[in-house]
Amino acid sequence: MRLMVNGAEQEVDSGPLASLLHVLREELDITSPKAGCQQGGCGACTVLVDGKPQRSCLTPLASVEGAMITTVEGLGDAGELTAVQQAFYAKYGAQCGYCTSGMMLAATALIDATNGDGVTRQEIEEVMGGHLCRCTGYVKIIEAVEAASRGETFDLEELRRAGTAGGEETMILDTGGQS
Amino acid sequence: MKAVGARFPRYDGLLHVTGRTRYVDDFKVPGMLWCRTLRSSIDSGRITRLDTSRAEALDGVYAVLTHEDPDRNVVGHLEDLGVPPDMPLLAEDEVRHKGQLIAAVAAESEERAQQAVDMIEVDYEERQPFLDIRKAFDPDQPQVTPDGNVYFYDPYDHCRVRKGDVDWAFEQADVIVKGCYRPQAIEQAPIETQAALAIPEADGKMTVHSTTQAMYFSMGIVAKFLGVSLNQIKFVGGTVGGGFGGKVDTAVEPIAALLARKARRPVKYRSTREEEFLALWTRAPWHIEIADAVSRDGWILGRRTLTLHDAGAYTGFSAYGAMKHLHHSAGAYTIPNVFMNSYVVYTNHVPTSAMRGFGVTSVSFAVETHMNRIAGELGISPWELRLKNGNRIGDLTPTRVKLEDPSTVPTILACADAAGVELPSEYAQMTPGERSGELLPEHLEDQLGKADAWRNR
Amino acid sequence: MTAASTASAEVLIPSSPSEAIEAFGDGDGIVVIGGGTILMPEIVAGRLVPERALLLSRAGLDAIIREGGTVRIGAGTTLEAVAAEAPEPLATAARQLADPEVRRQATLGGNISTISDGDLQAVLLALDATVRHTGSGGERTEPVASYLRRFGGDDERLALEFGFDEPEAGSYTRLDRPHAHPYTYMAVTAVRAGSATKVAAKGASPGCSRLPAVEQALADGASPEDAAARALDDAEPFDDALASAWYRSRVLPTLVARALADL
Repeated sequence: MRLMVNGAEQEVDSGPLASLLHVLREELDITSPKAGCQQGGCGACTVLVDGKPQRSCLTPLASVEGAMITTVEGLGDAGELTAVQQAFYAKYGAQCGYCTSGMMLAATALIDATNGDGVTRQEIEEVMGGHLCRCTGYVKIIEAVEAASRGETFDLEELRRAGTAGGEETMILDTGGQS
Repeated sequence: MKAVGARFPRYDGLLHVTGRTRYVDDFKVPGMLWCRTLRSSIDSGRITRLDTSRAEALDGVYAVLTHEDPDRNVVGHLEDLGVPPDMPLLAEDEVRHKGQLIAAVAAESEERAQQAVDMIEVDYEERQPFLDIRKAFDPDQPQVTPDGNVYFYDPYDHCRVRKGDVDWAFEQADVIVKGCYRPQAIEQAPIETQAALAIPEADGKMTVHSTTQAMYFSMGIVAKFLGVSLNQIKFVGGTVGGGFGGKVDTAVEPIAALLARKARRPVKYRSTREEEFLALWTRAPWHIEIADAVSRDGWILGRRTLTLHDAGAYTGFSAYGAMKHLHHSAGAYTIPNVFMNSYVVYTNHVPTSAMRGFGVTSVSFAVETHMNRIAGELGISPWELRLKNGNRIGDLTPTRVKLEDPSTVPTILACADAAGVELPSEYAQMTPGERSGELLPEHLEDQLGKADAWRNR
Repeated sequence: MTAASTASAEVLIPSSPSEAIEAFGDGDGIVVIGGGTILMPEIVAGRLVPERALLLSRAGLDAIIREGGTVRIGAGTTLEAVAAEAPEPLATAARQLADPEVRRQATLGGNISTISDGDLQAVLLALDATVRHTGSGGERTEPVASYLRRFGGDDERLALEFGFDEPEAGSYTRLDRPHAHPYTYMAVTAVRAGSATKVAAKGASPGCSRLPAVEQALADGASPEDAAARALDDAEPFDDALASAWYRSRVLPTLVARALADL
């Protein structure tokens, strides 16, 4: 069976009723979708199917033959993050990270569908409503999606420098004259 | 360099947002087998027959684990602290809770492992379970352990805190305010279920990739089940996909390691969501009784508590959890005379364990609810009641720790501010500073300086 | 149609309604998978091991046709489409199910045919809907009410299409446990058609059912409040993990009154 995953055509051997999650993780080694519950309850396995978010654990492989599948691996890499990835990083939208892939893909689909125009907090809560996070209480996640929908970008170089500060790096923090 | 209060980016944030963080379940090695488990379908009973032969004969099955396989099958999580071990890793002749582990299978796929589990034959002779901690002292209840339903803290059957003269407090009281609070079990429910990948190495050592929150602790536990010294095991931790206390329990690592040793192949055990909810340890349910001796003007003169901690079927960490709970049973308030007892009660529930403030969160719920009840009965503001009795510098805790920097007063003031509550100025201006004047009534004078005297006794 | 097989399953994937009907045959020993949201967890966990499966994701059966005062909705229509295009109160009920991702996948036929207490069953009961289905002996149309009584029976049927008259007015009100997927433990649907008002509930009794005593009281001219008080005449409140019988018996009249007030 043929699948298009992150722009590359893949030939897969799993049976037609294998879950798309299983195919991605175990057969194609694409591990950003997570097996959080394998019953559609948590959203950690969400991927984009032809641009729309869908639970890969609930999706029989045969139902997506020929479809375009996008996972977080297909969004961007550390050098060129999408607005959603930047915002989740800079606005602390990820804590343990396990729900992050599903959250970001649901947010990406929302922002792509609307160009981010006038995305309200209520819409974000509706679209992300099936995604569970156990760490953050959702506030940071929603703030990150709001920032991404407004097209906010972040200076990742500066963020990275702050992350490695403490050695010879120049600190961006106001250290109050003490060092 | 100023780090406290600064906002640093998450050190692992870039990996998270690019989907590159490697969690245990993301590791795969050649020849890796998958584990599925057989767990008790009943709350309590004797195992009269366990036959794994059909499962062992199934194609693609490499190992079936039962109680005969571990070097030691009964290892106590706190045995090195003197808490007697009581829980078998794999049930032998009896099961004490639904979901208790009986056997585990390593096979070429999860499906095949599950098929093998379904072929294991087990017969039970069911017993009446004991499920309600409130009935711990009732006669004729089912006995969970041969030694009864209550854990023994030598020399008592409970842990206790005593301070001051509680009888005096109850004689002086204008009002006795009583309450009973029963916070229920809560599953930690991290989005990442517990998982382990055990790899037998060519030199006989074992590498274990683990989701544990407590690396060295889990390593020690696994070494005991395997009967090897610590230098025969290498633990690989890393990013944990949420733990909240539930991943100190070392539930999956011993199984993966024992299966890997028996099959001589790497074994991954990824617990299912059902196992997380039904079989892995939860925050404990409690039965918390509080009676406070209160004066009409809002001083808590004394407190008696009797609390029952539902340990579930085995001791686990409960002996520690109940004690920690007890030490916080006065809450963030200064109560000079206390008489507090906490019992660890065995039931036929799944064993209970840590979750975000082990034992403390549950009693805080009870104490704070009780504070509102006191305020209601006295007809005074619950904010003022809390601020008046709140811990201050120089106050003594029930365990006679002299407080140097208590945060009760600023915390309550911040809460009032956030809730838009306007307090009278004598409360709004309050600081955590040492008690004096009206805030130092006679019954609190005694406690000042006692800690030093007690330490130097 | 394509047919794929693995060691354990033969999977039929029809690409039109007629292929689906042919593939289903008399339904003997075949597992029907619509959107997969109910059955995939069972298959993944190994609790359901289909020998033959019929996957409807490419079979069509997903048209919503509203003409001449009647409505026909294909069994393969997703809940997302039902929420967007179906008349009230069906659209509102569908919109409140699960979450947007699950609604994009789950089908109306699955909600009616796969589980015994699908949230939309009571809505179709209040709408006096019929279902056209196929199986042994060919196609038939019958009321959804009698179709639902088949659960657990031997006669396997494949739902094809649901039909009902456009209601004059409809309302849907429910109670759920707060969760990412709000589990409905009780919901009441009221529909006005002609001079009659029809009322059905999920969670008043196990499964879904009409509340004839309420309907009769309304027909006899009772006020909505008085009619709602009759809701318990037809209820068998029960305990489950979501709500107790005691609680169900107390909230049911309130929900009925609310549904009637919203009508």
